[in-house]
Amino acid sequence: MIVASLISYPRAIALGLLQGVSELFPISSLGHSVILPRLLGWNIHQNDKYFLTFLVATHLATALVLLGFFWRDWLRILKGLGRSLRDRGIDPADADAKLGWLLVVGTIPAGILGLALEHKLRSVFASAQSAAIFLTLNGLLLAGAELLRRRAPQTAEDDDVRIARQVSWRDAVLVGAAQALALIPGFSRSGATMGGGLLVGLSNKDAARFAFLLATPIIGAAAILKLPELFGSDGDGVRGQALVGALCSAVTAYFAVRFLMRFFETQTLVPFAVYCFLAGLAATIYFAVQ
Amino acid sequence: MRNDRLLVALAVVVGIALIAIAVVYWAEPAKSLPGFFPGHQGGSNHHHVKHGIAAFLVGLACLVFAWFRSGPKRTSTA
Repeated sequence: MIVASLISYPRAIALGLLQGVSELFPISSLGHSVILPRLLGWNIHQNDKYFLTFLVATHLATALVLLGFFWRDWLRILKGLGRSLRDRGIDPADADAKLGWLLVVGTIPAGILGLALEHKLRSVFASAQSAAIFLTLNGLLLAGAELLRRRAPQTAEDDDVRIARQVSWRDAVLVGAAQALALIPGFSRSGATMGGGLLVGLSNKDAARFAFLLATPIIGAAAILKLPELFGSDGDGVRGQALVGALCSAVTAYFAVRFLMRFFETQTLVPFAVYCFLAGLAATIYFAVQ
Repeated sequence: MRNDRLLVALAVVVGIALIAIAVVYWAEPAKSLPGFFPGHQGGSNHHHVKHGIAAFLVGLACLVFAWFRSGPKRTSTA
């Protein structure tokens, strides 16, 4: 009963809608889910078990939407992985196989860092104040990536072929490991990977595509790993809200990924950098004087 | 060539060892883990599932690396 009053259905809808957008926009979903409840005076703490359980459902929904949106790509990638395992090597002309292994290589460091550091980082940087400061830094990080980016060569017509040609194994490890930044509320996973993609010479569109493909297994695995909590005692009193939140999250995540894939055909990370910097700064000042 | 074989053998040994370690993490509570294992804690019944997953993934990566490395050499057409 207490739990239901903390995450009411209207709040679950609001948090779900926010989660779907902010997980894929490079603006830190975790940061927003920490800052917004504090700004609105909601008694929700990011380390509360029921809230973490709620987030599991919304993350799972986002991962499923990403999987659905890129399902044709995943099918080709899985076939490519199968071909390379069968042939015991990656054919230089097989972009799907190369992309698949780049995603594997990028996911391993992110997964290990996530498993090792998630709890500690969330505990240390749990406050809305620190999330606001890191959101400001996320803005600087996005702007820095745009400033320092390499010019993206047009090496092929196909998106995946371009990514496979441009990203080296070392780049994949570094870009994948950069996802671990998102364990700190305020830093964005997609922002870190998109920024990393730009630094290794991808265009904004290809960097976004690589970021979304890279995000799918890690968001999905993190959610599946914690799924037992949703169906265990931690989920008591919050399952209904979690379902509603997940549905809302799925809807906004779908429109977010659709929008972003078109947006990055012509635009850059700069608007998101400006938003994160200003919103983070404003929230930092507000929390300081409050 | 000799270095290659050594690397493959090393990757296989490390891969199998890590997967075995993963199984130990999943099967044994923290109190029963060997003292040199990260996560060993006397009196704790907690299972370090995440440690196990990390060990399993790295072990699997070592085996995949060995699989590719020991495959037929390709001649580049480029």
